[in-house]
Order: sequence, then structure tokens, then C-alpha cells
Amino acid sequence: MPMADTLSPSSPPRQKSIVEAHGISKQFGDLEVLTDIDFSLAPSEVVCVIGPSGSGKSTLLRCLAFLEPYDHGSVYIDGQLLGYEDRNGKRVRTSEKRVDDVRAPVGMVFQHFHLWPHRTALENVTEALRLVNGLSRQEADTEGMAMLEQVGLSDRAGHFPESLSGGQKQRVAIARALAMKPRVMFFDEPTSALDPELVGEVLDVMKKLAADGMTMVIVTHEMGFAANVANRVIFMDQGRVVESGPPATLFRQPKSERLQQFLNTWRERNID
Amino acid sequence: MFDITLLWEVRGLILQGFWNTLWICFTGCLLALSLGLVLAALRLANPRLFGYPVACYVELCRGTPLLILLFLLYYGGPSIGLTLSASVAGVMGLGLYGAGYFAEIYRGGFKSIPKGQLEAARMLGISRWHALTHIQIPQMARLIVPPGTNQLIILVKESALISIISVDDLTKNATTIVNQTFQVIEPYLAVALLYWLMIELIARGGYALEKRLANRQPRPASQQGATPHAHG
Repeated sequence: MPMADTLSPSSPPRQKSIVEAHGISKQFGDLEVLTDIDFSLAPSEVVCVIGPSGSGKSTLLRCLAFLEPYDHGSVYIDGQLLGYEDRNGKRVRTSEKRVDDVRAPVGMVFQHFHLWPHRTALENVTEALRLVNGLSRQEADTEGMAMLEQVGLSDRAGHFPESLSGGQKQRVAIARALAMKPRVMFFDEPTSALDPELVGEVLDVMKKLAADGMTMVIVTHEMGFAANVANRVIFMDQGRVVESGPPATLFRQPKSERLQQFLNTWRERNID
Repeated sequence: MFDITLLWEVRGLILQGFWNTLWICFTGCLLALSLGLVLAALRLANPRLFGYPVACYVELCRGTPLLILLFLLYYGGPSIGLTLSASVAGVMGLGLYGAGYFAEIYRGGFKSIPKGQLEAARMLGISRWHALTHIQIPQMARLIVPPGTNQLIILVKESALISIISVDDLTKNATTIVNQTFQVIEPYLAVALLYWLMIELIARGGYALEKRLANRQPRPASQQGATPHAHG
């Protein structure tokens, strides 16, 4: 198992990028799921990560958020190394508090929403405002209602997640992340667990966020969305970045055989 | 013939036994609930360090009779410098024995909360402590009330075993009355009624708590059934 203290030295991050990764790798047991990934994300940029199942897309996003500690390389958020620090020439894991501090500009939305079922929609949104930002209940409720309004769910504020549709749950999850005023949003297959009819309402919210200038990384199987909204698309396979570029180029003139194959399969399935 | 006047004559012994059973069960259950929580927390907080020792403790509790533990504490204690009164040995026996079961009930409650909910909390900057107190425990509470109530009921019923190490509890005092009066039915029926009363109170308390928690929170699909009645 690779150790954190064997991380290779990396070049200092460019200040322009909000998120930057150099040579990150990740193994689960003997299985190498990410190999030497470089990544950078400029302000207001929307990057979609596509690829077949098991290609490492979600693991990449989780490593960028340090929900999965990466084994090698470096991830910087706003120029600050995430998850590790140099101590006496050795790289060691930082405290959870430090991880939270460095990661504070990042909000995350998960495939399975991960709402807290014992809290109403509004309480899901206000929980962190009260516990982390120290807002009073009244202040948090005002802020929370504004967030629910933004995702079109102010009329569902008092509902528990179990009485919401999948699309509504995901919109509450987006409102919950937005409430903490992130500068970057990570979306991990936000529509994959939804009925096809409910996908649109979530994508609409995300399109609006992109139009408002939110910086986003989106792991998705929604090719149409990636083509229309992303500034850049990254295609991954077997833990590596195979190809990346503007969606128009990537989708119309794929260079690699693997991406051509992937797109052909997708087109065939969607024509059927 | 059922002679109810006999019970009036021996009411002092019965009430003394009832009081002793009551406080020993209360203290023993409190010890079991608290120690169980500590054991579960240790096991979850640092599985590498505490996982195996706590698992061994749980298996020992589940694999050995309470009576043997009581014998070890009361009769075996003095040989290792631990001299306990019968009542204290009873409290410790119930507490140590019950803790093994409660540790598992708590652990099951914690484990039932999807990891993703905690990841969502971490991504929002919510500390582990706040995640524990605001996300895990409130959800865990409603899941552990039914099995927890059941375990408390079992502990109260098993407390009759402390009579064997000479604690003047309900069971021992009933036996004393039987030996003195040669009347079997009346004393044992009376103490059975008192045990049932205690257990009914616990069961109803469990129902009330379950209902209160359910009113505030939606019931998870995985949670089936209600607080079980006494059995065994």
C-alpha cells in the first residue's frame, strides 16, 4: 500500500486555479483506480468528467474533496495542500479540522443525495449554517428559505426527505451545499439515481448555476448536458485521463480509439 | 385454597424484596446502558485498538450464563482481593452482563446510518462531534429503542438469579415465605405480579419513547415492528 510520506514533490500551484491536482494516484488494495492524474480548475469553469463505469471518475472527485485520501501526488484548493502537510521533510496527514478549513470553498452533491432523513428539507439546509457558521435559528431559516427558493422548493421546506421525489431530494441537496456559499461545486453523478423524467429539473438547476458563474466539476453520464454546459470535458478510462478538451472538439473529433468507442456505444444506445 | 390474608401477613418481606429488586435492577441497567455505550463508542472510534477486545467481551457475555458471572463476582472475588456485598455483586453482575448486549445494540444503531450522510456532513464542515450528536444519535435512538427495551426487560427478569447469591430480592424473599409457611402458590404469584408490573412499566415506557421519536421523525423503511413484549 503506498504511503502518504512517499508522495512525490510537486510544483507550486498556479494561483489562478481554484482546484489543482498534480500526479494523483489511488489504490484500493491491489487495484489501481487512479493513475497519475493532473487536473486544474479555473474560476467559473465548468468541467464535466465522463467515462465508462469503473473508470475512476467518482474516485477522482472524491480524492479532490479528500473524501478518499489519495496515495500519491498533491491536491491544492486555493493554493493550499489538501489532506497532507510536510513535517520534518515527511508528508503526514493533517487534522480533520485542517482538512475542513482547506476544503471549505468546496460544496459537494452526491449521487444518492445523502439527505438526513430525520430533518426537514429546510433543516437539512440550515443544519450546517447553525452548527458551522453559528447562525441563530431565525437567521439560518431565512438563509435556508432563500436557498430553497433558488432551487424552486420553498413550498417543500417543512417536508421530510421521504416525502420528496428523487429530483426534489437532489435539489434540496444542492441547496444544502449552496447554503455554505461554496466557490466550487462538485457533483458526483447527480442524476444517475433519478427516474428519467426527474433528471431535467436537476439539470435545470445546475445549468442556472453554471450561467451564474459557479465553478463546477461534474461527474456525469449526461452527454447532452456536458456538450451544452461544460467548458471542458475530461474522458477517463481505467483510472487515467484519456482525452480532454472543449466539448465540441471532444465529441465531434475524438482522437483516441477508446473515446470513439465510448461515444459510439452511447449514440447507439440513445438512438435505440 | 388461595389464602390472600397470608400475603397481608408477609407484606413486609415482599415489599423489602420488591424494593431490593427495584434498586438493584435500576442501578444494574443504568450501568449496563452506560458501559455498553462506552464499549460501542470505543469499538467504532478505533476498531484497530478496541475492536478485538470489545468483540471478545461481547462474546463472553453472550456465551456464558449470568449465574456464572454472579458466582465469579461474589464467591470468586475475595480470592483476588475483591470482596463485594451480595447486592453490589448483583448490580455489577447485571451491569457487566447487560453491557455486552447493549454494546451490540448501540453498534447496530450506529452502523445503520449510511456512511454517505456523514460524508455530506463532513463536506459541509460539520465536526465529528456535531455529526454524532445531531445526525447519528437522533436517528440511532429510534432504531435502538425497541431492542433496548427488550434487553432491559430480559435483564429485569434475569435479576431473579441474584437470589442465588443470597440477595434478599423478590425471588429470595418469596422462597423464604414459602419455606416458613409451606404455602407455594400465594407468595410466588404475588412476586410474579410484581415482576410483571415492573416489566409492563418498562414496556410502556419503551412504547411511549418510540412514539415520541416517531412523531418527530419519519420512520425508516427498514424499521419493522414495534417494541416487543416480554418473552423468555
